[in-house]
Amino acid sequence: MAGLELKSLYKSYGEVEVIKGVDLSVDHGEFVVFVGPSGCGKSTLLRMIAGLEEITGGELWIGDTLCNAVEPRDRGIAMVFQSYALYPHMTVYENMGFGLKLAKTPKDVRDAKIREAARILQMENLLERKPGQLSGGQRQRVAIGRAIVRKPEVFLFDEPLSNLDAALRVDMRMELSKLHDELGSTMIYVTHDQVEAMTLADKIVVLNGGVVQQVGSPIELYQRPANLFVAGFIGSPKMNFAPVNVDRVEGTSVTISGKDIAAMTLEIPLNAVQAGDVLTIGVRPHDLVPSPSGAIVGRIGLIERLGNETNVNIELPSGASWLAVLDGDQALQRGASLIMNLDRAKIAVFDAGGQAVTAEKPLA
Amino acid sequence: MADMTQSGLAVTPARIAAPRRRSPYPGWFFLPAAIIYGVLFLLPTVASLYFSLTRWTLFNSTFIGLDNFAQFLREPFLIKGLINTVIYAVITSSMKVVLGLLLAVLLTSQIAARGYLRSVVFFPVLVSTVGVGITFTVLMHPTNGMINEGLALLGIKGPGWLVNPNLALYSVALVDVWKGVGLATVIYIAGIVAIPRDYYEAARIDGATKLQNFFYITLPLCRPATSTVIILSFIGGLRTFDLIWAMTRGGPGFASDTVASVIYKQYQSGFYGLSTAGNVVLFVLIAVLVVPLTMMLNRKEGHE
Repeated sequence: MAGLELKSLYKSYGEVEVIKGVDLSVDHGEFVVFVGPSGCGKSTLLRMIAGLEEITGGELWIGDTLCNAVEPRDRGIAMVFQSYALYPHMTVYENMGFGLKLAKTPKDVRDAKIREAARILQMENLLERKPGQLSGGQRQRVAIGRAIVRKPEVFLFDEPLSNLDAALRVDMRMELSKLHDELGSTMIYVTHDQVEAMTLADKIVVLNGGVVQQVGSPIELYQRPANLFVAGFIGSPKMNFAPVNVDRVEGTSVTISGKDIAAMTLEIPLNAVQAGDVLTIGVRPHDLVPSPSGAIVGRIGLIERLGNETNVNIELPSGASWLAVLDGDQALQRGASLIMNLDRAKIAVFDAGGQAVTAEKPLA
Repeated sequence: MADMTQSGLAVTPARIAAPRRRSPYPGWFFLPAAIIYGVLFLLPTVASLYFSLTRWTLFNSTFIGLDNFAQFLREPFLIKGLINTVIYAVITSSMKVVLGLLLAVLLTSQIAARGYLRSVVFFPVLVSTVGVGITFTVLMHPTNGMINEGLALLGIKGPGWLVNPNLALYSVALVDVWKGVGLATVIYIAGIVAIPRDYYEAARIDGATKLQNFFYITLPLCRPATSTVIILSFIGGLRTFDLIWAMTRGGPGFASDTVASVIYKQYQSGFYGLSTAGNVVLFVLIAVLVVPLTMMLNRKEGHE
């Protein structure tokens, strides 16, 4: 039974700081996903938890143990690598039993554990094969099996699905989710793919530049992004942004307008903004609806028809380009003008520093 | 519809018939290499096969069938030479494997002056073999050599490295290892560096010690390097001549003679046909030992 506690964790390579004070607590049994663009420090953070990278500053607690100086094998963790790191000269059986063999586990116990893990992952028939004779998905399974055999308190996954093709990735994603339910262990999962993060996580940690941008459930992050970075990173397709000016403030009613946006009134917390402020508003492509009396007018650019929905690029007067995802197959003409309305309740508002100022609203 | 099917049929056989990848270069590009290979390798090989069947004085040759081979195999010291050759090849290649691997492990770990030490280990490879032979002959002199003088300072009476008939071959083999281990080390370094770090990290999480890392990961995963080192140094050992000649001339007596030095002595005596037959025998010896060895090493390697 182990949760995790990261207390202002720092990591630097010489002068270069890559993790800049991360605080995070993970409950036992939670599925936590670290997500962020390449080089944001998410893998480094995972490797610090694993013990493969030294911790420069701060504290790492796994369960009740301060683990800063504890050897990886004694941390009660198991890790699945992006490359799977299966030893090519050993069979699947030997690969899965390697850790137990090193720990001098008796042969019969070892055998039982390996067969149990193989049963959970439905790969009893692969045990005598070498990794070279397996497909990508099967190797992935073996790598997970090797982790399960160790019966760890915490599973660590470093972009485990990034070497699989798209269809297999969806399958493995569902299997991982199922596995988490079955085992009930704490899992920490690193990915740059926000769809993986959204679908797998109980809790998402968005990282950028070695700093935690926001921690929350997938829906929280989607509906209430804390800043421009999270707003742009979470959600697919990406959120649309436009700069606006604050024209008038009356209590919590704020009137805004911009080059691309006709004047409109939004509810914003008291004293959050002043007249004359420059804000950024964000609208998800799914929240744009064609309407004769809309706040946005643009010219239709590229149209992508997917059958169930239509992706429309709209060129706005300022030259910015927005994306709208419309239901069904829409009869639209490239170059024609399109008026769009936006759902005011779903507009995200950010101040000049990029921090959210959107009114608190209940999660849908 | 019928037209489409027909054209489809017309295309398919052509596709099946042309699976050979066409080279982007015209055929005559291979001529320079072929001429050089033919003149410098194929021609002499075929010629030597012929001359091994003749009594040959460089200016004229008389065909005598297999007489040269019969005579060569009757040579009194040939058996000694053959045994010496195999002992020499086994000793030098196995020591190069062990020392080369250990040095490579050391020189790929985090140690100070790693680049400099790599050069130091490789340096003897660059030096002329004859130079090394002469230098070590001086160093190994039984009374005035630096090695025995050094041992004497420690109160140890050094052996007669090159003058003791029971020791001479092994002394030369040691020098061969000293000179050749750099190449083995470089091959092993390349092999070790190519092992993905993930394996070591996964093993670290599994709790492997340094020694376990070596036996479970490094050793099995640098098997291709091991095969290369074994085969290269084994062939080198079987063909060895220059170092033996520079250090002992096959002596004392015939104690350190190898097949190659026996052959050379016959050349010196003017028995060209006979010594060419000896070369053919050496070639066959190498083939008989190395071909199965290569097959064995490659078969075990075929796990990926």
